[in-house]
Amino acid sequence: MADDIVFELLHSEIINYALEKNKDNTNKETDLSVVEYIGFAAGYKIMERLTREWPRFKDELDTMKFICTDFWTCIYKKQIDNLRTNHQGVYVLQDNAFRFLTNFSNGHQYLEFAPRYVAYTCGLIRGGLANLCINSVVTAEVQTMPSCKFHIHVQRT
Amino acid sequence: MAVCVAVIGKDNAPLYIGGIGNDTSTDNELSRQWLVHTALDALEERLVSSNTTNTNSATNTTRTDLRDLYLGLLYSTDSHKIYGYVTNTRIKLVLVTSSTSPSGSNIRDAEVRTALRRLHALYADAICNPFHLPGDQITSPKFDKQVKSLMLNNV
Repeated sequence: MADDIVFELLHSEIINYALEKNKDNTNKETDLSVVEYIGFAAGYKIMERLTREWPRFKDELDTMKFICTDFWTCIYKKQIDNLRTNHQGVYVLQDNAFRFLTNFSNGHQYLEFAPRYVAYTCGLIRGGLANLCINSVVTAEVQTMPSCKFHIHVQRT
Repeated sequence: MAVCVAVIGKDNAPLYIGGIGNDTSTDNELSRQWLVHTALDALEERLVSSNTTNTNSATNTTRTDLRDLYLGLLYSTDSHKIYGYVTNTRIKLVLVTSSTSPSGSNIRDAEVRTALRRLHALYADAICNPFHLPGDQITSPKFDKQVKSLMLNNV
């Protein structure tokens, strides 16, 4: 479908733009916080629409299940393949064929560039949860493409 | 039917309070704010009770639909009835009807439910404006106009 590719191309252009912008920075560390923030704002707004027809969530796990199923389907056209939790505020979401990485490689090639393409999604999850009153830190881990793990640490106050 | 609707944020700060009638008068504005804020305690109470009954699983039959976003009649005074709705994102929508006006006195629950549902849809549209920052007051004239027509046309 043509409308899927639009999002993918726009996403990769945002990454390129962000990289271009901090090219002249002297330090080698690439700064993707702006991309993460774009994801956060998008996630926050999407959540208001998505939960409109939903009954109230029972608890945190119920919310995470929503992220894995409906939220993910809405954005990546598939569900999360595996959800794990230690029941103490740490959740690991595993996607075996992450959409932004599927076109790149099926192994270790280009692995060093993978972190760029997951920053937006980390922000997206964080923003979605923030709107549901769950403050969290989301990090991502790519060991072999195209599978990707998202770690969610819920911040308790 | 409705004399006033309000959108209240996560931290109980009003994002939008709109009323119909003599809009310019300060008296009206004050009484409107007062009406809406009296309902907040009842609203919080309702939410807490829904959570505890869910966990205790000691539910009685009348409270089975506690996961419903629509909370029903919260509070009624001599002249007004106040209905509440809380979204999953903890945004509170409050609708006030007047029991003295002919159209507001015998309003059905289903009508209020539809009105609040539509208000929720309007809110979600307003929030998706990229220039709107979360937690800010809603100043969009389009939203204002749509809400006013929602209040006037009896759903």
